[in-house]
Amino acid sequence: MSDHHITPLRTYLVIASCLFFLSGVTVWVSYIDLGSFNIVLAMFVATVKASLVAFFFMHLLWDDKKNLVLFLMSLMFFGIFVVITMIDTEFRGALGFNPETKEPITKRAPFYAQLPLTDTHGYPVDSHDDIHHGDDDHH
Amino acid sequence: MIENVKQNYLTHPKGIMSWLLTLDHKRIGLMYLVSGILFFFMGGLLALGMRLELAAPGNDFISSEQYNNIYTLHGAIMIFLFIIPAIPGALGNILLPLMVGAKDVAFPRLNLASFYIYSFGALFALYTIVNGGVDTGWTFYTPYSTQSSSNVVPMTLGIFIIGFSSILTGLNFIATVHKMRIPGLTWYKLPLFVWALYGTSLVQITATPVLAITMVLLMLERFLGIGIFDPALGGDPVLYQHFFWFYSHPAVYIMILPAFGIISEIIPVHSRKKIWGYKFIAYSTLSIAFIGFLVWGHHMFTSGQSVFSQIVFSFITYFVGIPTGVKIFSWILTMYKGQVSFTPPMIYALSFLFLFTIGGLTGIFLGAVALDIHLHDTYFVVAHFHYVMQGGTIVAFLGGLHHWWPKSFGTMYNQTIANICAFGVFLGFNGTFFPQFLLGLRGMPRRYATYSEQFVELHSYSTFWSGILGFSIFFAIVNLFWSFMKRNKVDPGSNPWGGMSLEWTHTSSPPHPHNFETDPVFEHGPYDYDKVIVEKTYKK
Ligand code: HEM
Ligand SMILES: [Cu+2]
Repeated sequence: MSDHHITPLRTYLVIASCLFFLSGVTVWVSYIDLGSFNIVLAMFVATVKASLVAFFFMHLLWDDKKNLVLFLMSLMFFGIFVVITMIDTEFRGALGFNPETKEPITKRAPFYAQLPLTDTHGYPVDSHDDIHHGDDDHH
Repeated sequence: MIENVKQNYLTHPKGIMSWLLTLDHKRIGLMYLVSGILFFFMGGLLALGMRLELAAPGNDFISSEQYNNIYTLHGAIMIFLFIIPAIPGALGNILLPLMVGAKDVAFPRLNLASFYIYSFGALFALYTIVNGGVDTGWTFYTPYSTQSSSNVVPMTLGIFIIGFSSILTGLNFIATVHKMRIPGLTWYKLPLFVWALYGTSLVQITATPVLAITMVLLMLERFLGIGIFDPALGGDPVLYQHFFWFYSHPAVYIMILPAFGIISEIIPVHSRKKIWGYKFIAYSTLSIAFIGFLVWGHHMFTSGQSVFSQIVFSFITYFVGIPTGVKIFSWILTMYKGQVSFTPPMIYALSFLFLFTIGGLTGIFLGAVALDIHLHDTYFVVAHFHYVMQGGTIVAFLGGLHHWWPKSFGTMYNQTIANICAFGVFLGFNGTFFPQFLLGLRGMPRRYATYSEQFVELHSYSTFWSGILGFSIFFAIVNLFWSFMKRNKVDPGSNPWGGMSLEWTHTSSPPHPHNFETDPVFEHGPYDYDKVIVEKTYKK
């Protein structure tokens, strides 16, 4: 409480110019096509900038360390949100670990062989290319 | 023991302005209480309207469009205007500073600001109602919510604003717990209600911003056509559900943790026994708060999310059961060999144990992917969340009101009426919602205004008991306010139940405007029934 840290003006100016420089970096990299890495980079730069603001302008660096813990917690919760959501978006459509869905069982019961041939069934699947399985269109 | 003195916070500064501009946490709490209960009644009437429509198939008491509006408003009002803001806002505000021995919360002005922000948000909700309602369901799922011509914008704006009130209240409570405790009142000597409010506050400040972001993204898409959730614009509709439930699953803990705290106070006091497993209860609060952030996908098992995340979410969901079970068993063990008295608060607490256990266990059923694919969006889910939210949170809230009523307002309500109403709530609640489990298992979908013949028996049964439930809650609350309106001058004394935490032992009823006439000195823990004898000041 009592000993307030006084930051020299110089530090503020240096940090401010870092922020301007990093804004420039954000704009610059947006013109380069890095694929999905673009967003990662943009978020990284933004996080660095926010941290600079928090640490220097908002005095987090000299503050009670409990506040630092809170700051890190917010990053952690953000991380949880993004990472777990990506468990969905990155695996969407993949049918998971069930071996049966990776190699669908294509054998049919023996009595199919005795049935007369029709449009909808009758071809023994084993001897025929499996053309109607839509399950794996995302692979 | 302190004699009841004339000067108290209810009468001390007089005049309407002294209320509107008050910085006293107790007055702010009372204002939250009154507005919360008004919204509770409003939501309750909407619910009874739905039950009337569902009393028989093909009823045309209201149109299907009106039905859609009514269930949406019912859910949104109950959750966003009553349960989330009003319970920490009312009981938390009134009690937290008293329990830690402080004169007020850490930031009294901010506290008043929270209340006004809440009221401002509530105006938007009222506008929505007057302007014809909203029909998306309280979850506002895209793509419908970006297309619906009903009042999605005012309602979500209202929720956005109320969210800030939650965040500021949370912040205030955290600072209060850290900074305002009297010397000697260490973390492990805090009443468990304080721990519960602390856990709730942590969830409020970490989860609520995401709700705000979600509502903003929804409006960006609606107004600016920025593709966030709409696949035609390059968005992802399931992403909306991730955003929404990343807030709203933790929000169910915002709703239940204060209730856990209330039960942890009622049971030891009315059993006159030291709480069993103090640290277990305290830490289970924190672990529930944390695990609550990792399970949101269990609301999305049929949304088309990846199978991998279904497995992960299902797996983590089971872990919620562990700290929850720890609490339930600790409460039961607290009563074991205690002197249990069946006062109204205790009857509510016992009802809570039954109802919340059923609600929590059916939650675990729903957490199993294979089962949830069948039960999702059926009445089984409706029954589950009413067992936890009404049977859990609201029953605990009623119990808490009865427990702290004599403290907060200095009058004792009629105990016989209170007991009858408490039984009525228990019976009416089970009669209303147990049949809904059966309906859900048989395939009755939720959010439908009518249904096929085979469901009529269970539905009409549910409607009948919902009337009993409605009456019981109504009269329970009228009974409380009746005593407040000075019709009943029974003086409960400063410590009617023989509680041991500071609000019982060191303040008068109702408390002094500055809470304590002299600085409170910490003498014994909140549950030291094995060490100190505290007399009850009220005998029936
Ligand atoms: C033991 C802990 C709990 C577990 C494992 C659990 C699990 C679940 C699951 C899996 C669902 C999704 C069902 C579906 O939509 O198919 C669900 C729905 C819900 N739960 Fe729980 N739950 C628990 C406790 C709670 C508590 C304490 C509350 C609130 C106080 C709550 C409120 C809700 C609500 C409001 C919904 C329905 C949301 C909607 O779709 O409108 N749950 N729960
Ligand atoms: Cu959930």
